[in-house]
Amino acid sequence: MTDRTPMVFIVDDDQDIRTSLTRALGQRGFEVAAYASAKAFLAAYDGTRAACLVLDYGMPEMTGLELQALLNRQDNPLAVVFVTGHGGVPESVQAMKAGAVDFLEKPFRQSVLIERIETALELAEAKRAARATRQGIQARFDRLTAREEEIVARMLDNPAEVSSKEIGNFLGISPRTVDHHRARILEKLEVRSLVELVDLVARLKNGGGQAGL
Amino acid sequence: MRNSLGAMLAFGLAGLQFVAVLAVVFSSYVTSERALLDHARELLSDIGSNTIEHSRGFLGPARGAAELSARLAQDRVIASDIPELLEQLLFQQLQLAPQFSGVYHGSEDGDFVYVMRSDGPGPFRTKIIRVDGDTRSTELIWRDNEFNVIARRMDPTDTYDPRTRPWYIRARAELATIWTDPYIFFSSQQPGITLASPVMDGPGRIRGIVGVDIEISDISDFLARLRIGATGRALIIHSNGDVIAHPNKDLLKTEDADGTLRFVDIEHFEDPIARAAFAQPIANGVVPVARETLSQFNYGGETYVSVVMPPISETLPWTIAAYALESDFTEVIKQNRRTNIWIAALVAAITGLCGLALANYIYKPVRAFAVRSALISQGELDPSEPLPKTYEELENANRTLMQQIAARRETEIEYGRTFALSSRGMAQIDAKTGRFLRVNDRFSEITGYPAEELEGMVFADLSHPADPPFLLFDRERRDAPREINHEMRCLRRGGETIWIAVNAIQIFNQEGKPLHFVLTMDDITQAKQTEAQIAELSKDLSNLSRDNTMGQVAAGLAHELNQPLTAIAQNADSALFAVDQMTGADPALRETLEEIAEQSMRAGDIIKALRGFIRRDDGNRTDFDLGELVQQTLRLVTAEARAAGASMVCELGDLPPVNANRLQIAQVLVNLLRNAIEAVAENDRGERRVTVRACRQDGQVLVTVEDTGPGVDPKISLFTDFETTKSSGMGLGLSICKSIVQANDGRLWHEGAEPHGACFRFTVNAATA
Repeated sequence: MTDRTPMVFIVDDDQDIRTSLTRALGQRGFEVAAYASAKAFLAAYDGTRAACLVLDYGMPEMTGLELQALLNRQDNPLAVVFVTGHGGVPESVQAMKAGAVDFLEKPFRQSVLIERIETALELAEAKRAARATRQGIQARFDRLTAREEEIVARMLDNPAEVSSKEIGNFLGISPRTVDHHRARILEKLEVRSLVELVDLVARLKNGGGQAGL
Repeated sequence: MRNSLGAMLAFGLAGLQFVAVLAVVFSSYVTSERALLDHARELLSDIGSNTIEHSRGFLGPARGAAELSARLAQDRVIASDIPELLEQLLFQQLQLAPQFSGVYHGSEDGDFVYVMRSDGPGPFRTKIIRVDGDTRSTELIWRDNEFNVIARRMDPTDTYDPRTRPWYIRARAELATIWTDPYIFFSSQQPGITLASPVMDGPGRIRGIVGVDIEISDISDFLARLRIGATGRALIIHSNGDVIAHPNKDLLKTEDADGTLRFVDIEHFEDPIARAAFAQPIANGVVPVARETLSQFNYGGETYVSVVMPPISETLPWTIAAYALESDFTEVIKQNRRTNIWIAALVAAITGLCGLALANYIYKPVRAFAVRSALISQGELDPSEPLPKTYEELENANRTLMQQIAARRETEIEYGRTFALSSRGMAQIDAKTGRFLRVNDRFSEITGYPAEELEGMVFADLSHPADPPFLLFDRERRDAPREINHEMRCLRRGGETIWIAVNAIQIFNQEGKPLHFVLTMDDITQAKQTEAQIAELSKDLSNLSRDNTMGQVAAGLAHELNQPLTAIAQNADSALFAVDQMTGADPALRETLEEIAEQSMRAGDIIKALRGFIRRDDGNRTDFDLGELVQQTLRLVTAEARAAGASMVCELGDLPPVNANRLQIAQVLVNLLRNAIEAVAENDRGERRVTVRACRQDGQVLVTVEDTGPGVDPKISLFTDFETTKSSGMGLGLSICKSIVQANDGRLWHEGAEPHGACFRFTVNAATA
């Protein structure tokens, strides 16, 4: 989505940090929103916009690490850059394992931060795109009727027995009816063959990336 | 002294009766004695009076007859000078007065006519003496009652001359009728008296004297006839001491040497009793008496009573006296009285026995009751056993007694049960010797000595040999306390040292005499150890706190400084970015800004180095029981909680052992608890409560410290160093707690409590199995 300004969220309990970072990032053309706590951020974020999250590690109530874990459980296009006042190896390892772009110890130079933000933004955009693709495929699957979903599931489960006759026997309906459903399925899922259908399902499960790439 | 009811009843019913009977007998004895004596005296007095009257009656007519004879002679007969006429006159007089023994007349010439009673040959005899000059003749004539002559003869031997006789001489001299003293008549040899009266021949001339002889042996006969008791006698004593009348006439007379008879005087009288009674008073002049006199005397071992009457008259100066054996009067009554005493004694004995029997009958149920009470008190009888026949009052008493005994037994059983089943060691100890009287199982269990062995020991034996022996009481001290609380070391039988807490109460009886001690005992060894552990924990905590605070100040400073340094660095970089965008900017400005940013980074590096001081203390981590630690820390803050009026509540779930630095977790707990106590102390209204909970959660233990204080001001940033709501302190407490918890891989955070107050939670990792 290049039509939009890159977005950076800042969550830090220190007012001066929020002010200086907002100013610096705004200067460089980022759209910036700063929050004093994880709770305030969660209340404001809608979960759709791709963005970089600059997150303070040590905060009262919900810590940065906790917020990260919470966000990871949701499907959102965010990439996290940690900043911390009393960083340690164990904390950084934990944060990195959970998918953080980097773990910066305060104080840090702006250039380093910008570099990390840009990486994060790329990652966020990729996540957003994959999410969109997945949502598209899902939308196609959503069009299927219950009977058609049954037939797709049967075909995916038993790739060796995909003839209409075999499926009809299994479901207790005539092969002609199966044929009719199969045509409707290919039409609804916008694929031309069973091979493409299998690929589509794989793409849905793998988080939106191009199958086979 | 209390009297036995039985003795009192016996005395009351038998003894008193006996005494009463005795009193009656004695009283009747005394009164009867007196009455008896009075009676005897009266009797004697009557006898005296009778005798007097009799004597008067006897002698009175004689006087009349004599005087009559004298007058007759004077008037007619004697004047005739014819002896025969005179004889006839005298004969008539003699016949008229039977008490006369003889009547006679003597003349101045010496003539004498004498008519007397005779024994024979006729009843009367007359003696006539005729004197004619120098010749005299004496003729004796015996006559019968008709005055006929029976015999007659002359007596030439007679020499009697009336003019020489005392009666003649006295009557002639006195010219009046006179009585002679009694004397023994010459002729009859009988006692008698003579009454003589002069016969006058014209004024002042005496012609002769008429005499009358009266024998007084009749008075003796009268006296002999009187019955004065069995042996009593009455007698008449003349004023000269002669006894003139006595029941035994033979005793009256005595013969003188010349052959004449005379009266025996009282001093020589042959009646010894009369002599004893009257001789002395008469010799002493006490008799004659003016009034009738009664007296008592002893003779021959016997008691006699006597009476002496006053003289009959002046002419008859006779004293009538009588005596009698007292026993003659009193014997019957005495006999009667003896009988009475015997009867009284018998009655007293019988009624006494009846009284004793009755007393026994009355007392029997009481005795049975007493015996029964004694048996029950010794526990030898069942109180429910029926009481033998008794009284209503006793039954009531019995019922009350039984109820009391039942209540006491129940109390004893309850006490015994309490004693035996008590979860504490209990013992009863003799107040005098200090020996164990009784111990319960728990006592034996704690001390390790079996009960039998303890009963031979004194309490001081249990004292630890290294300590001075603990005496429950000091004999020297009079004001020994009644209750003793003491903690002491004690050597168990196995040689193991334990700590015990002893409470001893001295029990006194109603008189305030000490009976025994009741001693309760707890084994406080465990508590003592816990106490020691807590003291150690407290010591360690204060050391740790000192060490940690400086490190924490450094750490806190480091964190706080990093924030402004970051802002500085960002702002410097932002300014640089702006300068780069500008055209013609001063390169010195860019350089300055670059330097600011670089110096910020340098300051950050210094702080990183400083942070190295706060080392992670993984080496001191151990596995321990968090529940126990919670309880120990609660004990540490007990004093503060009490001072703040806070109630401490502890709720511990089933906790796994945890792995952490025990001392550091203790410090966090103490810190949070102190904060909570201080918070609730500000709560003027409502409950001041601090609750500590610990529970298992996701492989960790979650500890919560919740208070009912005013809560945390939302404007305050907790866990930030140097921020505090307290007037004193550096605000490091919570941040230190937080960093400590984090250093032990746990988390610490705050939540608001409902409806108000603060709630802090932290986690500690469970130990890996």
